[in-house]
Amino acid sequence: MTSIRRDVLIGLVCLALAIALPVAMPGRYVITQSTLFFIWAIVVVQWNLVLGIGGIFSLAQMALFATGAYAAAMLGFYWKVPMLAAILMAGVITVAVGMLIGLACLRLRGPYVALLTLAIAQVMYVLIVNDTDCFTTAGGCMPLFGGVRGIGQFGDIGLRALFPSKWYIAHYYVGLALLAVAVTISIVVIRGPLGLAFRALRDNPGYAMSRGISRFKYQLWIFAVSAFFTGIAGGFYAVHFRVVGPTVFSFSTLLFLIAMIVVGGLGSIWGPLLGAAVLMLADEGMRELSDYRNIGLGLLLAVFVIAWPNGLNGWLQRSRASRN
Amino acid sequence: MDVLIQIVASGLTLGAMYAVATIGLSLVYGSLNMLNMAHGAILTLGGYICYAVIVHAGLNPALALLAAAFVCALVGLLIYFSAALPLLRAENFETNIFIATIGIGSVIENLMLKGFGPYPIPQPLAVGGQVVIGNVHIPLQNVFILGVAIVLMVGVAILLQRTSAGRAIRATSMNREAAQLMGVRVGRVYAQVLALSGALAAVSGIMISSIATLTPVMGGDPMLKAFIICVVAGLGNVYGAVIAAIALGLLEAATQYVLGVRWSFATLLLLVILVLIWRPYGLFGKQQVVRL
Repeated sequence: MTSIRRDVLIGLVCLALAIALPVAMPGRYVITQSTLFFIWAIVVVQWNLVLGIGGIFSLAQMALFATGAYAAAMLGFYWKVPMLAAILMAGVITVAVGMLIGLACLRLRGPYVALLTLAIAQVMYVLIVNDTDCFTTAGGCMPLFGGVRGIGQFGDIGLRALFPSKWYIAHYYVGLALLAVAVTISIVVIRGPLGLAFRALRDNPGYAMSRGISRFKYQLWIFAVSAFFTGIAGGFYAVHFRVVGPTVFSFSTLLFLIAMIVVGGLGSIWGPLLGAAVLMLADEGMRELSDYRNIGLGLLLAVFVIAWPNGLNGWLQRSRASRN
Repeated sequence: MDVLIQIVASGLTLGAMYAVATIGLSLVYGSLNMLNMAHGAILTLGGYICYAVIVHAGLNPALALLAAAFVCALVGLLIYFSAALPLLRAENFETNIFIATIGIGSVIENLMLKGFGPYPIPQPLAVGGQVVIGNVHIPLQNVFILGVAIVLMVGVAILLQRTSAGRAIRATSMNREAAQLMGVRVGRVYAQVLALSGALAAVSGIMISSIATLTPVMGGDPMLKAFIICVVAGLGNVYGAVIAAIALGLLEAATQYVLGVRWSFATLLLLVILVLIWRPYGLFGKQQVVRL
């Protein structure tokens, strides 16, 4: 079986299971947590393109997610843009921001990229949180970016009105559809010529460039591709939770998402998804011990990087290889 | 004039604290190519241990300082043996150690959160009184911080320039393979550097908490600033880092006065973004020629 066929098969099985889930377990809690899982999985799958396939050590993905969420919220709040259009526009805006970040990182390597992207995310957070001047006073004082409290009341994609008591199931399917498209794009990118170019630049930049692969062009491409769905996921997050606040920049969210990628397996197609699922489940399991959540996450991250740098995916592949 | 004295005084204090926090980070990057993301947590740990030794054990503040430095040096060693040593044997050391130390930092930070609670605690190691220059009152605490920082920096400089251990550290950071071939035990150098960086982080954590307060998350800001300083100076350039630390301290004090406290950090970060785009290898760094 070729690898693409295998990917399609795995994808279809996962999709079928996910479509059947609300019928099997209609509880509201399960459904909303799964929706959240879809959102994080989209971000993680796109981040994996930059981090694992591109080998660019960018920590900007949460900042891009926040860009999408804030863009959608502000378009809805200030200009009353219908949310469906706002989410799409948020995706485009995020692509622009992502390409800017990609441009800024172009001359840097390794850890400098991580520091630069961390600094960019921190600037955005500090500017949003420290802004206390009222931009508008309609409905109380509100800074341009909502300040500490964030932005709310920016409309909806209409599913809450359409299915008054079952809107969360509708959101579940929207999230699932978005994830399915995001994963498809990621497979196409990884298995296609674009991914080949990214991997060539990652593994041996000098040789790749001497063979005519433009680092400038492909680095911008990779940031643009991965930014689009991250921005869309951000917009959907805004609509789903009805409020966007500076908590999307929090370090524990970043830790959670990076742990998903590392636990699942950096640079593989299904690893990040697997990691996202495992960590969401582990997080649920540790709900009683919420005080120890970040300690557990930190330990998990360190242990996986040190002992199993290829993550669960690498472990699965090794066990399959030894079986054959 | 008074304003200028005020800015210079607080800028020098800030710069001195940042310099102590940065030296360790820069030494570690210079010799191991390792960005230690747990540095902020170690720095906070130093502050808390000093507090615990003075308040709970009732010991002399000087002992508390030593105890904090000692424990944090041990944490540095622990990071070397548990994370850096196994990762050095594998590929992609720079990326992996970055991620691993993010995890370790989170563990230390949340253990402190469990142990000491989330509420700010004043640092008991403080000096009262003030000196007056012109019309400006400068707390003795700031003078004390400046003094300790200068002593530490001179100490580190002597260690690096005049001792055989320092020569080994410098040799390793210049060229790891060549140092190894000349008989430098690189593993021991790494362990020494991480322990030294932990001890320096502890002292800077005590200094920072003595003019602000102790909280489990207080290390994040100074660590980011220390990284900024390292990056502006060029990663691994220790003497450049000291100059950059003092320059950034003065700049921060000036922006705090001109633009207000709210914007000073954002201004610094914008500055570093610009520096990185304009000179990717830092102001004092040499452009690295990559051979294929």
